[in-house]
Amino acid sequence: MREMTADPYLGKYITCVSARSTDKEILKKAQDGGIATALMVYALEEGIIDGTIVAGEGDRPWEPRPIVAMSREDILKARGTKYSISPQIAWLKEATRSFGLDKVGVTGVCCQMQAVRKAQLYPINMRDVPGKVALTVGLFCMENFPYKSLQTIVEDHAAQSLGSVKKMEITKGKFWVHTERGNVSTVPLKATHKYEQPGCHVCLDYVSSLADISTGSVGSPDGWSTVFIRTKKGNEVWSKAVAAGMFETKPIEDVKPGLELLTKLAKEKIDKNRKTLEERRNFGVNKALRDPYA
Amino acid sequence: MTKVVEISPTTRHEGHSKLTLKVNDQGIVERGDWLSITPVRGVEKLAIGKTMEQVPKIASRVCGICPVAHCLASIEAMEASIGCEIPKDAKLLRVILHAANRLHSIALHNILILPDFYIPGTETKINPFSKEEPFRSVATRIFRIREIAQTIAAIAGGEAIHPSNPRIGGMYQNVSPRAKQKIADLAKEGLVLVHEQMEFMLDVIRDMQNREYVTVGGQNIPIPKTLGYHNQGVMATSPMYGSSSLDENPTWDVTRWKETRPWEWYMGEVTIDLEDPNYPIGGTTKAGTRANPQMEACNSVPTYDGQPVEVGPRARLATFKNFNEKGTFAQHIARQMEYPDCLYTILKCLDDLDTSGKVIADHIPQGDGSMGWAANEAPRGTDIHLAKVKDGRVLWYEMLVPTTWNFPTCSRGLKGAPWQIAEMVVRAYDPCVSCATHMIVVDEKNRIVAQRIIQ
Ligand SMILES: Cc1cc2nc3c(=O)[nH]c(=O)nc-3n(C[C@H](O)[C@H](O)[C@H](O)COP(=O)(O)OP(=O)(O)OC[C@H]3O[C@@H](n4cnc5c(N)ncnc54)[C@H](O)[C@@H]3O)c2cc1C
Ligand code: SF4
Repeated sequence: MREMTADPYLGKYITCVSARSTDKEILKKAQDGGIATALMVYALEEGIIDGTIVAGEGDRPWEPRPIVAMSREDILKARGTKYSISPQIAWLKEATRSFGLDKVGVTGVCCQMQAVRKAQLYPINMRDVPGKVALTVGLFCMENFPYKSLQTIVEDHAAQSLGSVKKMEITKGKFWVHTERGNVSTVPLKATHKYEQPGCHVCLDYVSSLADISTGSVGSPDGWSTVFIRTKKGNEVWSKAVAAGMFETKPIEDVKPGLELLTKLAKEKIDKNRKTLEERRNFGVNKALRDPYA
Repeated sequence: MTKVVEISPTTRHEGHSKLTLKVNDQGIVERGDWLSITPVRGVEKLAIGKTMEQVPKIASRVCGICPVAHCLASIEAMEASIGCEIPKDAKLLRVILHAANRLHSIALHNILILPDFYIPGTETKINPFSKEEPFRSVATRIFRIREIAQTIAAIAGGEAIHPSNPRIGGMYQNVSPRAKQKIADLAKEGLVLVHEQMEFMLDVIRDMQNREYVTVGGQNIPIPKTLGYHNQGVMATSPMYGSSSLDENPTWDVTRWKETRPWEWYMGEVTIDLEDPNYPIGGTTKAGTRANPQMEACNSVPTYDGQPVEVGPRARLATFKNFNEKGTFAQHIARQMEYPDCLYTILKCLDDLDTSGKVIADHIPQGDGSMGWAANEAPRGTDIHLAKVKDGRVLWYEMLVPTTWNFPTCSRGLKGAPWQIAEMVVRAYDPCVSCATHMIVVDEKNRIVAQRIIQ
């Protein structure tokens, strides 16, 4: 096992690689390298988990709805990034109740990984949860949008109808919208800022530092993911999955743009949001807004 | 000459209560009063005006040992008032939850009573907290039974303590096929354990029935053969689940119930003039202290046909299975005999449960103010909630919980017991004093008695 790296912006991790799933069906609709999907499918098939919380399909197009997936089929339904809030943790306790799970998997963005860890250490009305979380896969996340925001960005700014969108992506300074018929629209990110969820402006985590394994797109080429293997549990699952031929991997050092760009973006997020937090201290005249990290 | 001795607080049961006892020269109880001194929380009064969805969740908080009973009785009282029939699979999940809660409760009570009992054939009392054998294995078995019970309750009911799944009209969630299998596996494991545990407890109780005396605080106290006998009769609505006014043939009759005031049944002011500093642990109430059960009782007294009655496992077995023993040890025996039925009931319900079945009624009426009631056979006996719901709000609410029925009955059962084992008589009722303390007791002039006592 490699020595643990502790990076001020990328968190603690054992290894970082660029990877993609070898499962063609998974890749067909995956956002990037299909890591999130492939890992949970593998964990389910191996009995590492007996179910997992994923961002499934909601009532409206591109509106995620958290579900407890207990089959490969259901996990595959959650492929693709939905740039809107999916309250994943709402099912965390229930997964151990009416679903009857013993080994719960959780996918989600950085703040949702934080929620899981907090429930494990400070289970406030979260009985049974600490001992039943079996595997967490966290996504990188710069910011998120309420559903109304997403509608406005896609339908007004990108002038596409949500019903015909095939994929959305935030990359290279733009919000990209790909339609089923092959159209591509972009919106400069500058135009999207006012639609961001305000709560994201105090978030000091970019690469899901508290997950067992975290994954995202930045740092790796299209169709590939940047993956951090962070915990003992994550390392066990990842090593087994790689040995079983579930993933193609490349050392992150051999990949462009690699960790350099990722670190730069992580630093930008954290520095900017730290500043927001500081401003909250002097928000009023002789009074402050609350600081959850205090 | 009659003397008065008082044990306050009583121990190894839920909640806060005391025993004020008039005894003869031999220390035998001539008249005993067992009463709640747990502060009244007034759930019934604060329920008024709240939504029918919320009140059962508040009522659940009356007690953390049998929250399932209060939650279900309360919800079903609301459903009875509004006339809402719930789907079959919701009912099955409720019965599973109910049986699981009874299971955990019996096991917990084993821990509370065992220190009064002996390893059969020896002079060694049972200490369930000892690391030594055979205590350790017994405790381990009890803990596993409780763990199984609480896990099943959490799966079927959403939460073991204060179940979240039940709602007006059914349940929030059906369970997954995996969850169903898990409950079945746990129930099968539990079945083996409860048979062992029941046999163990029955041996221990039979051994006690054959004993002449027990030691309390270093003294040998004779055990009367008629310990805990009373002539109040029993009341039960079902061997397992309960009944409600929605039933075709309800098994409880609201017209036979009458609420009475504590002083019709309790003694007035007395002064303690017998004191035993060696009563374990910490002695009895100091001589010279005044007590007034009529005024201090934080419980009210419901009656059936004008009399207090006994409710609980013995009442159920006597009503439905011709169980004909009575008194303290018969109550203990009946409680142990309910062990296996909890798990057979769960397994039977699982057989019938369709995990893709609907668990919420299509239509939930909002109520026109009609009175409805529901009885839940709680671990400790019949728990009856009565409600009037109009436009989704609770207009009137009343809870007649098992230990409230049992307070005056048990008090009568104390007669003839050496005062040093009065607590053993009490514990055979598996009292849940918090449950019994949710009344605001009003006197003839409608002054709130219990509240005055808290002030
Ligand atoms: C709001 C948001 C912002 C992101 N920002 C960045 C970023 O700035 N930089 C970057 O590199 N990567 C970002 N990502 C991650 C990236 O978009 C991919 O989700 C990630 O690379 C996983 O791809 P995959 O092919 O492994 O996942 P797939 O195999 O396609 O599976 C998708 C996974 O994402 C989960 N998911 C989808 N939508 C949501 C949601 N709204 N909330 C929670 N979980 C969801 C699903 O449960 C599933 O596990 C972001 C993701 C989200 C949801
Ligand atoms: S930016 Fe932070 S707070 Fe906002 S969704 Fe992403 S992880 Fe959560």
